[in-house]
Amino acid sequence: MKHASFIFGSWGLTAVSVAVYAVWVIRRGRELAKHATREEMPWT
Amino acid sequence: MDLTPRTVTEPGTQPPARKRRWLPILVVVGALLGGGVIVTQFLTSAIDYYCNVDEVGVRSGCSGERRMRVQGVVEQNSVKHADGGTTFTLDFNRKTLKVAYSGDPGGVFQECIPIIAHGRVVNGVFESDRIEVKHSNQYVEKNSTRIDASNKEAAACSVLKG
Amino acid sequence: MARQSGTGTSATRRLGILVILMLAGLALCGLWFSAEDVVQGSTVRIMYIHVPSIWTAYIAFGLTAVCSAVYLSGKNRSLAWDRFAGAAGEIGVLFVAVSLVTGSMWGRLTWGTYWVWDARLTSTAFLFITYVGYLAVRQLGGTHRQRARRSSVLALLAILEIPLVHFSVTLWRSLHQEASVANPNAKVALDGLMLFSLFLGLVAFTLLFVWLVLHRQRAMMLEDAFSDRGLDLAITARRNEAGA
Repeated sequence: MKHASFIFGSWGLTAVSVAVYAVWVIRRGRELAKHATREEMPWT
Repeated sequence: MDLTPRTVTEPGTQPPARKRRWLPILVVVGALLGGGVIVTQFLTSAIDYYCNVDEVGVRSGCSGERRMRVQGVVEQNSVKHADGGTTFTLDFNRKTLKVAYSGDPGGVFQECIPIIAHGRVVNGVFESDRIEVKHSNQYVEKNSTRIDASNKEAAACSVLKG
Repeated sequence: MARQSGTGTSATRRLGILVILMLAGLALCGLWFSAEDVVQGSTVRIMYIHVPSIWTAYIAFGLTAVCSAVYLSGKNRSLAWDRFAGAAGEIGVLFVAVSLVTGSMWGRLTWGTYWVWDARLTSTAFLFITYVGYLAVRQLGGTHRQRARRSSVLALLAILEIPLVHFSVTLWRSLHQEASVANPNAKVALDGLMLFSLFLGLVAFTLLFVWLVLHRQRAMMLEDAFSDRGLDLAITARRNEAGA
């Protein structure tokens, strides 16, 4: 594939950026949930 | 450490006792400065990014020997490479302009494709040192066209002609 | 204390699995099955993430504005609206950044340059910096209601930039192409599997946004609750003690 470094680079950058953000959001939620009461987590 | 919850009259109404937050203030200031730079660029460059070929020498801001950006379509069979440079003719609204580019445009530059050339008019020829290819919004699958593999250079011409 | 389930529910877990499957399908279609473009060649494959990224940002900022308007309208002054607005704004900034970077890489291959100060790129950069400012304004301190009020006003002003960005290619002379799908001519200018891949990308990224915004606003709900009872600082202190 011509220009493979640019094409896979742009896909990879997108995947990594979104994955890093998603993992941060999940970990942040889990960390906070450890110390939360049930009333503070109405979705459970 | 005492983690006993404090008594709060109504959640969301008590200002949390915190030190002044400098990072958000710096980001807001940075955003305002950055926004100012971008607006300046918008007014000086973006709002009138190029002159069309038929406006060169006619429209104000597109005449004289001043540096400008000119937009047109690369005429079929006009591209010639010689002495490390490239010459071709730009066409727009039945007006043409000869362009001498100092180098090989590369990328997806080809005949029948709209481009923007940066440079100035010298003795009736547009001497360019930078070319940007302005591809169309049409996307055609390579295997679904009737393009001859030996005629790849004129792929954009085939798309234009259907 | 509640069980340690984080911000997930069975519904978000099912949605997450669906998103992963759709993104895998997008990678297969975008990078493997779809054909090259007759003019741009294989560089067209960047489109399948570039366009969905800016689409997601538009949706995110739209949601930010709607939630802010509901909050300010006074009919429902629940802080949940503000948290949805903040979560969507944060995700929108991420996707504008992705769109700018992927667009820049695509531009290098097709236009021959990473960046030009034309109408589309300049207005998109302004959109990005506006919402970075929006996120910073949310962090300036004060009560949650003060935060909600000032950021809602800013969100309602910032949303006016979206039509400016989208129509910049028709309002002004731009190096950036006009829209291939949502254009004034209502003519779709993409061949078969290219169009399918792009559509798949739009749906997958939209569902990814829904998944992210649900998790983020729940985390924000906990942040607000902890801020109210001053526990956030205590947790940080305890974590530092444990790490020391």
